[in-house]
Amino acid sequence: MNADFENRLQRQPIRELPRDWRAQILAAAADSPKGRAALPRRPELGRSSSFALPDYEMSGLRPGEGVSTWPSLRAWASLAAVWLVIFLLHSTAPDEPRLARNSTPMTMQSFAILHAQTLMMAELLGQTDSTDFRPPPAAPAAAPKPRSEIERKQLIG
Amino acid sequence: MASAPNIELLYDDHAPALFAFLLNLLRNEADTYDVMQDLFIKLGRRPALLLGVRDERGFLLRLAHNAAIDLIRRHEARERNYAQLAQEPMPLFAQSADPDERIFREKLAEALGELPPEQRAVLHLKLWEKLTFEAIAETLAIPLNTAASRYRYGLDKLRDRLRPLYDEIK
Repeated sequence: MNADFENRLQRQPIRELPRDWRAQILAAAADSPKGRAALPRRPELGRSSSFALPDYEMSGLRPGEGVSTWPSLRAWASLAAVWLVIFLLHSTAPDEPRLARNSTPMTMQSFAILHAQTLMMAELLGQTDSTDFRPPPAAPAAAPKPRSEIERKQLIG
Repeated sequence: MASAPNIELLYDDHAPALFAFLLNLLRNEADTYDVMQDLFIKLGRRPALLLGVRDERGFLLRLAHNAAIDLIRRHEARERNYAQLAQEPMPLFAQSADPDERIFREKLAEALGELPPEQRAVLHLKLWEKLTFEAIAETLAIPLNTAASRYRYGLDKLRDRLRPLYDEIK
């Protein structure tokens, strides 16, 4: 049954290729125009489309297969333009890092610590008579002093 | 060194098979013409594409299939009723003087139009190009089992659809 049916189908001849197509198609192929706008179409046949065989079809790839890796001048140019814009924006940006701009100002406590460290450095360098350094009036009395200074005072005292 | 193939010889050797395959797939003469023209134009521009190709017919059928599927998808994106258009009566087979044969061919063309293009492509290559499943799988870039199953499903549908008529005129 299957074989009979298949044989029956195989015996059905498909229509012949229209003879006038040969001259038209070969003429178009011989002209080989650069632009597709010059190609003759057959609108009289109905439901014709603005069909263009994609270039990747000529590679033997399946539709959609490997399209992302196929070289496309426009795509690569767009990518290069995006990178150029990113580079220009980066090179023209101010040098000050955003983190530094957003950092909190120095507090009074940290200022007192810095002052104490400066005093200690002056003492170590033998500049004990430093009247230039005065603690700020608002400096808290309980500002922590470096452990080394405390120990030194205890030894001297 | 092998020379580039002559485009006219290529046309004479393969255009009838490409026409039949594309007409069966696309179900439209204008689309078939457009795909064939583009195929030969690009072969004319780059004849070296065929250098080293062992099976010219298989290579060209594969290109034609890819282009046809691509066109069908674009049609489907634009026209939601493209599948319905594919089922419209279309003279796929040669005319016959025998009324029974003529009716059978009309019904067969209709039944083929109801199949998905993937099954139609396999059926065409097997029945009318007489390719093996291995060759079909290579041409359509599908696994061998897929080619065989598509053929079986497609043939079953055709048989179910045409059984009353086939039994009657057998």
